[in-house]
Amino acid sequence: MTPAYRPASRLPPHGFWSGLAATAPLVPGVVAFGLVYGVLARQAGLSLGATATMSVLVFAGAAQFTAVSMWGQAGPGLLVATTLMINLRHLLMGASVAPHLRGQPGAWKALLAFGLTDESYALAISRYLRGEGSREFFLGANLAFYGGWTLSSLTGGVLGGLVVDPGRWGIALVFPLTFLGLLVPLLGRPVTVVVALASGIVAVATAAWLPGKGNLVLAILVGSEIGAIAEAWWTPTR
Amino acid sequence: MDTYAVILGMALVTYATRALAIFLLSRRLPPALERFLSHIPAAVFAALAFPPLLAPEGSFAPGLPAAAAAVAAAVAWRTRQIFTTILAGMGCYWLLRWIVG
Repeated sequence: MTPAYRPASRLPPHGFWSGLAATAPLVPGVVAFGLVYGVLARQAGLSLGATATMSVLVFAGAAQFTAVSMWGQAGPGLLVATTLMINLRHLLMGASVAPHLRGQPGAWKALLAFGLTDESYALAISRYLRGEGSREFFLGANLAFYGGWTLSSLTGGVLGGLVVDPGRWGIALVFPLTFLGLLVPLLGRPVTVVVALASGIVAVATAAWLPGKGNLVLAILVGSEIGAIAEAWWTPTR
Repeated sequence: MDTYAVILGMALVTYATRALAIFLLSRRLPPALERFLSHIPAAVFAALAFPPLLAPEGSFAPGLPAAAAAVAAAVAWRTRQIFTTILAGMGCYWLLRWIVG
């Protein structure tokens, strides 16, 4: 560990507080988008109560943005179906983290599943891959994002048009940079380079004609399958 | 339409996507499936990172974010620190934006 990451590294790497601390670089971005979501939801005609309730119960940024952008034009069935499609990628993330949660009590699984997001999954699975993962770390990360998202949604809903668009400063760039930062240390294995390239290329190439995060689902499936095939090929020669 | 009923529906399908695999895959799995699952993290990271960096508007058009990400990737390789990687990437991005105007 280099001194740059001291605040988190002084904590035990497995625990709840480490999970909370690990989210620090991302929480400002989550809060910024929570504010914007709150504003957009109110503009779409949702009450303050409904705006906040959606964040509390659904807790899925991309799906909530899409839902409020369709609000009033789409019926209930389409809104729910679109939400399902946008969140399908979490099925794959759940599958990937499932072996690490094997043997945990059902209540823990249920709780951790509720908080599974792109960001908290990414932080938690990185720890698991390094042998430092734990349910407490995962919970800490989930809770930090949950708190940030729900409170900022409510604040955005209250403030309304006073919120300035955070897109102006390019704060959204923090998210891909984080995922890149989590990916790069895994690239020591050639098979992982193949997986990452396949998934990244598919995600970019199909973004235009598979909207609603459909491109991510396809990319993750293709990338992981290519990795599994490549590994099965190479294994006998080792 | 009942707003809260729609929100509840959205919450249920979202929870289903998150919980289903965690509960269903709770036993030992065939090696081929375990191998597939073991590659999901890298595939997820790449799928989430590449599009906003290389195709910010939806089609392939690398610009300042891609340049900043190249620097961030080099920093990530050397330091293996998320915080340092983000600082390098954002610093580089803001610097480039300031230069380009």
